[in-house]
Amino acid sequence: MRKVESFKVATYPAVIIVFLLFAGMLFVYFTNALPALHRYGLDLYLENVWRAAEEPSEEVYGIAAAIWGSIYTSIIAILIALPLSVAYSVFVVDYAPKRLKNAFIILSDIMAGLPTIIYGIWGAFFLVPFLRDWIMKPLYDHLSFIPLFSYPPVGGYSYLSAGVLLAIMVTPFASAIIREAYNMVPFTYREAIYSLGATRYEATKILLGYIKPAIISGTILAFGRAVGETVAVSLVIGNTFNLTTALFAPGYTVSSLIANQFGNAFIYEYMTSTLFAAGLILFVIGLAVNVVGLKMLKRWERDVNI
Amino acid sequence: MLTSNRKTKEKVFFIGIGALTILIFIPLFHIIATVLIKGFPVIAERGTKFLTGTLSEGGIGPAIAGTFILTFLSALLGLPVAFLVGVYAYEYPKSTLGQWTKTLLQIMIEFPTILVGVFVMQVVAVPMGTYSALAGALALAIILTPYVAVYTHEALREIPSTYREAGFSLGLTRAKVVFRILAPMAKRGILTGILIGMAKVAGETAPLLFTAGGLYESYPSSVTKPVGAVPLLIYQLVQSPNPVDHATAWGASLVLLAIFLGIFIPIRLSLKEVRL
Repeated sequence: MRKVESFKVATYPAVIIVFLLFAGMLFVYFTNALPALHRYGLDLYLENVWRAAEEPSEEVYGIAAAIWGSIYTSIIAILIALPLSVAYSVFVVDYAPKRLKNAFIILSDIMAGLPTIIYGIWGAFFLVPFLRDWIMKPLYDHLSFIPLFSYPPVGGYSYLSAGVLLAIMVTPFASAIIREAYNMVPFTYREAIYSLGATRYEATKILLGYIKPAIISGTILAFGRAVGETVAVSLVIGNTFNLTTALFAPGYTVSSLIANQFGNAFIYEYMTSTLFAAGLILFVIGLAVNVVGLKMLKRWERDVNI
Repeated sequence: MLTSNRKTKEKVFFIGIGALTILIFIPLFHIIATVLIKGFPVIAERGTKFLTGTLSEGGIGPAIAGTFILTFLSALLGLPVAFLVGVYAYEYPKSTLGQWTKTLLQIMIEFPTILVGVFVMQVVAVPMGTYSALAGALALAIILTPYVAVYTHEALREIPSTYREAGFSLGLTRAKVVFRILAPMAKRGILTGILIGMAKVAGETAPLLFTAGGLYESYPSSVTKPVGAVPLLIYQLVQSPNPVDHATAWGASLVLLAIFLGIFIPIRLSLKEVRL
């Protein structure tokens, strides 16, 4: 009989626990979502209604607005974060003197790790009024004929506020990935470009083309972070069902919907199940986005190292 | 003519990316300044009562106690598993299970934390019939585990493979080589991972929403009873219409910021690279 290695005896249970936890999560979300999925079918994800009622037969739920809000705010966030993090990476790797470079990297790490609730309180008490008075009001006053700016910014809690706050939160995260990739560009490439007499600007343009896959995967992973963010978003988005592209309109995201409604969901027959269905879609989006982003990044890193 | 055009472009480019880089950090400084300006007077005015008193006395003592309990309890629950998983991923980097494990850990780091909270609520808090410190700590442990595992894995990988070979050539078993020789050598890296994971979970809010419950009028007495936490308290106070609650929230934010920076900066300064 072959002797079982004691190393495996020690480590296998831990590995199995982690896998079981993850599978268990998927299972719990799926089974708890089933009653709502049975009852409302795909309309649950495609319709925008939220009618809670004591009488179960009158309950109707459709979380399209929340799904839209999650995607919309995350897109706003990465549209802002992408140019910022690319500029940061180039500046830190190519231009900044060593000391400044370290300072920037440390600051960026602090920003990435800062408790999200601190972004939340700052967002609710400073960012929202600031954006309302300095960005939304002027745009609404002068350009409200454009559909994007057509919603009157009353409270300031809106898709835009959430998107901007998310951008601030995910920029350091995307920056770290892109900076690392930009740093990994083989030195000979730089030498070759400069030897052709290129300026730094021209060299950067070429090198950014070289790390394009890493930039894309960094953006995808940042999108994944933004989709999953909960408390900071729920404090600035206004928590209203609103299926619109108007930037200044209050909205909902899937995670803020869960955070807001779960507390009293038990009173209603189908609300808990609906929220589990919302969690399930968040689960699927989060998993898909991260798998794609991580795979792309890994493939690129392997190609560079060859 | 052409050259000067290229040089102008170069200058504009430099100024552009410099300005954007600085723009990234303006919010950070503004946040820290705001938390200090709004939080400090609150703490100064209420004195030590703010740090030890209950919420109706104007303090956040129970929440601070809750945060420490939750953080240490989650470390206690998560560390053994995280360490062993990290070791496994290091020992079998080429095997299918090993690669899956690594991918899973990375996915778990990126995973929406609210989902972990709701999951633990359903499997722990609902059967127990009450929110509890245990449920909160379990949710945090699930979030802490991948951080510690990834750091353990990285720390082990930095050890030159000659030590491994030397260990095996002496006829030691795999377990002896890994746990007796390599793990002690990677001690520092592993410890860093533990501290970073703890700094991370100490600031988490979403996983606690439906697990910890909240307890702000008395100190926690049992792990099977509800417990408060500083981030959770801030979240609830921000949503209150009462300005006094807002003041307390700012004071609590300053405390939370101090806890986070207190753990994070010393580690970060003694280290080349951090992944969050």
